[in-house]
Amino acid sequence: MASVSLDSVSLRYPSGAMGLADIDLRVGDGEFVALLGPSGSGKTTLLRTVAGFLAPTAGVVRIGPDVVADGKTVVPPESRGLGMVFQQHAVWPHWNVGRNVEYPLRRAGMPRAQRAARVAEVLDLVGLDGYARRDPATLSGGQRQRVALARAIVGEPRVLLLDEALSALDEPLRDRLRIELQALTRRMGLTVLHVTHDRDEALALADRVVVLDGGRIQQVATPAELVERPATALVARFVSDATRVIGSRDASGFAADGHPLRLPASGLQGAREHGACEIAILPGDVEIEPTRAESGSAATATVVSSLFGRDGNDVLLDWAGMTVRCHSRTQRPAVGARVDVAVRRAVAYAAAR
Amino acid sequence: MQRVLTGAAVRGRAREGARPVRAPRVRIDGVSLTRALLWAACLALVLVPLGTILVLAAGGNHLATILQGDVVEAAINSLVSATLSAAGAVIVGGGLAVLLDRTDLPGRRVLRLFALSPLLVPPFVGAIAWIGIAGPTSPVNLWWRDLFGAPLGTIYGGHGVVFLLVVHSYPIAMLVVSAALRRVPADLEHAARIGGASAVRALGTVTVPLLRPALVSSFTLIAVSNLADFGIPSIVGLPERYVTLSTLVYRYIQSGTVDRPLEVVATIGAVLLVIALGALVLDLLASRRRWELDSSASTPQRLPLGRSRLLVAVLAWAFVLTLTLLPLLALLSQSLLPAPGVPLAIENLTLDNVVRAVTAKGTATGATTSVLLAVLAGLVCGVLGLGIGTLVTRTRARDNGLLRAVAILPQAVPGLVIAVAWLVLAPRIGLFNTPWLILCAYITSFVALVVQAVAAPLAATPLTVEEAARASGASRFRALLDVSFRMAVPAALSGTVLVALTAVRELTLSVLLLSPGAQTLGVTIFNLQQAGAYNAASALSLLITLIGLAGLGLAARSSR
Repeated sequence: MASVSLDSVSLRYPSGAMGLADIDLRVGDGEFVALLGPSGSGKTTLLRTVAGFLAPTAGVVRIGPDVVADGKTVVPPESRGLGMVFQQHAVWPHWNVGRNVEYPLRRAGMPRAQRAARVAEVLDLVGLDGYARRDPATLSGGQRQRVALARAIVGEPRVLLLDEALSALDEPLRDRLRIELQALTRRMGLTVLHVTHDRDEALALADRVVVLDGGRIQQVATPAELVERPATALVARFVSDATRVIGSRDASGFAADGHPLRLPASGLQGAREHGACEIAILPGDVEIEPTRAESGSAATATVVSSLFGRDGNDVLLDWAGMTVRCHSRTQRPAVGARVDVAVRRAVAYAAAR
Repeated sequence: MQRVLTGAAVRGRAREGARPVRAPRVRIDGVSLTRALLWAACLALVLVPLGTILVLAAGGNHLATILQGDVVEAAINSLVSATLSAAGAVIVGGGLAVLLDRTDLPGRRVLRLFALSPLLVPPFVGAIAWIGIAGPTSPVNLWWRDLFGAPLGTIYGGHGVVFLLVVHSYPIAMLVVSAALRRVPADLEHAARIGGASAVRALGTVTVPLLRPALVSSFTLIAVSNLADFGIPSIVGLPERYVTLSTLVYRYIQSGTVDRPLEVVATIGAVLLVIALGALVLDLLASRRRWELDSSASTPQRLPLGRSRLLVAVLAWAFVLTLTLLPLLALLSQSLLPAPGVPLAIENLTLDNVVRAVTAKGTATGATTSVLLAVLAGLVCGVLGLGIGTLVTRTRARDNGLLRAVAILPQAVPGLVIAVAWLVLAPRIGLFNTPWLILCAYITSFVALVVQAVAAPLAATPLTVEEAARASGASRFRALLDVSFRMAVPAALSGTVLVALTAVRELTLSVLLLSPGAQTLGVTIFNLQQAGAYNAASALSLLITLIGLAGLGLAARSSR
C-alpha cells in the first residue's frame, strides 16, 4: 500500500479547457478517499491523472515515494503498480474469468502455479469461488463487476482506483456491493481513490471526501464535517441541497435582499463579518407547519412538491418567489398547500466576489 | 367510459399488429399488401434468376465438360487469386486501420481519405492505370530496358491480378476493421495498462484478438467478390494467358468455343454460387460467437509512435500514395501523351486523346446508355430498398429475417453468376438483346446496398416511435407511411445515389450482357483498351473517375 500526493497539479487540455486547476491533495496510506462532484467537475480527470492516462501540464504526482508525473516526464500506467475498476467493468470478453483475473500476475511474471493459487484466493475473496473457468458473457452485471474488482486487487496494487465502479449497477445490488467493497478494502488495508457522482455513496464509504467543481478542490473533509460545516455555499448546495440566499449582515442578524427572510445572530454560524454576505440553509434546518394565518403572512409559503422519504419528507417550497428546500420528519403537506416556514439555523459565508 | 373503450380497442389492435401471423386470419391491409409486393419483387429479381442457374446446371449435366483442362485451370486461378488477394487485402486494410485509428501518425485524417480512394475507382480503370506504371512500355521499364536490355518486369500475369485485386479491395477491409475498432471500448485497453501491459501489448493482447470476427468476415466478403471480377483479370491477366473463370465465361459466350455455351456457363455459375454460399455459411458459423461489447464513454488512448513516428509516417504516406495517387497520375500522363512509350515532355503533351475519346460515337451512346440504366437502377433499388429495409426493421413479422436475407443475398454472389443467370433467363422473358437485361442485373446486384443503408440506422431506433403513431389513431399502414418511411427516406436517397454511381461505371455485368445498341461506358473503355487505343482508354477512364469522385463527394456532403 502507498500514499498518493498531488502538489499544485494542473491539467490544461489541448483545446485550452482547464481540466484541473492547482490541485493539492494528500491521500494517506490505507485511506479511502472519495472524489465527488457534478459532471464536468474534474473528478474523473483527477483519477485518470493518477492512473497515468492523462499527463498533468504542471505539478507533481507522487505514488508512495515515487514521482510518477511532474509536468515533463510521465510514468506510463502499466509501471505505476495500480488496480482500477471501470464503470462498464471492462472485463475482456475473449478470455474466461480466471484468465481475466490472472492478467496482472502474468504481466508481473509470476510463475503459473502461484498464479492459479492467487487467482483462486482472490475469486474466493470477491465471492466468485469456482468461477475461474466461466465465460464472462454468462455472468450477471454484479458478477462481472466482482471479476473486475478481483482483477484490480489480485496484484496487490499500491492504490486501488474506482471510476464510478458501482454506478452502472441497479440500486439493491449497488447497496450490497458497497458493503462488500468497504469490508474488503478495510480488511486488506487498501489505499482507495473512488470517483462517484452519487453523494450518499461518497459519504457512506469514504474516510474523507474531496468535493470538486470546475477542476478545483472546493473542500476536503470527513463525511460528517462535510454535512455539518460545508466550506462554501456551493458545497452546501451540492452535498446537501442547501438553499443559498444573498443578503447582508449586521449586529442584529441576517436580512435577505428583496425577501422577507430575517435571521437573528444566534441562528448564524460561520463568517462573522458585517456587510454583504451569503448564507446556506440546510433542508433539515427549515421547519414547516400548516399555516394558521388567515391571509398570507410574511412567513407563509406554497408547497411546490412533496416527496416521501424513509427518514423524512423532501418538500420544495415557493416562499415569496424564492425556492427553498425543506426536509421534514413530521410534515408531508399536499402540493399547493400553504405552510408557515421557520429557519432554525444557517451558515454564513463572506459574499462571493 | 368512451375513452376507456377506445383505449382497449387501440391496445387490442396493437397486440394483433404485433403478431400478424398468429392472428386467426391474416388481415389484408396496406402493410401485408406492401409485404407481398416486396416478396414478389425479391422472388423475380433474386430467387428466380439464381434458381434458374441451379436448375439449368442440374438438368444439363455438364460437369464432365467443366471438369476438363481449361475450366479447371481457370477455376484454380480464380480460387488462388481470390484467396491470396483477400488475405493481402485484410493484412493491408487491417494494418492501415490500426495505424490510422489507434496511433498518433501525423496527418492520419488526410491519409485515411487517400487510403479509401481506390474504393471509388472502378477496378478496370485501376488496371489500365497500373499498366501505365508497370506495363512493358512504362517509363520505369523503358529505362530499365535501356540499361539492361530487358524490362524489369511487368504487371501482366497472375501476380499483377492478385496485386490489383488487393489494391481495389483493401479499403473494404479497412472500413470493416475500423468500424470494429471503434466498437471495442477503450476501458478494455485501459484495464490491461493498469494490469501492467505496455501500450503495444495492450493493443496486441486485448484489442486485436477482439477484431477477429471483423477480420474473418472481411476476408470472406472480399474473397467472394474477387472470385469473379472481370476487369482486372481480362486487362492484366489475359496478355500472359492467365485465365480466370470470369474471362473464360466471357470467351465462351462471345465466341462459342463450346457446344451449348449457356448450359456450360450456367454450370460454372452454379459451382461458383455453391462456393460463395459455402463461404457465407462458414463465415456465419465462425462469427456465431460474437462478443457482447459495452459502449464506453472514454476515448481510446492513441499509441504514441515515439521516436519512430517520423519513419512510420514517411513509410505509411509513401505506401498509400503509391497505391492511390500514383495510378491517377499515370492515367493523367497517359491521357496527355499521343502513344504509349512516348517520353513525358511538355512538347509531347496533347489533348487529342481526351477530345477523341469524348467525341467518339461509342462514347456518346455508351454514356447515354450508362446514365439511363444507372438512374433507373438507382430509382428502382431506392424504392425496393426503402420498402424492404423499412419493413424488416420497423415491423414485427416472422418472415422479416428471410426477406432481408434474400434481398442482400446477391451481395455475396459473384457478379458473374448474376450476369449468367440473367443471360439464361433472357430469351424466356423476351429481354434477349435489350439493355433492360442489364438493368435487371444491376437491380439484382445493387438492391442490397440500399437495403443495408436503410436498415442499419433504422434498427437502432426503438419501435415505440410507430407505437406512438398507432396510439394516436393511425392504422398499421398509416404509421408505416407517416413514420417509418419518412425516417428512412434520407438513407434511401443516399443509397440511390450510391447505386447510380456504382452502376454508371460497372463492367462485369455489362460486358457479359452486352447487346447491340446497349454498350455501357465501362464496355466502351474496355473495348478501346482491347483495340489498342490505350491512351484514349486512359483519357476516358480519367474522366469518369474524376466525375465519379466528384459525384460521391457531393453525395457524401449532402447526406451529412
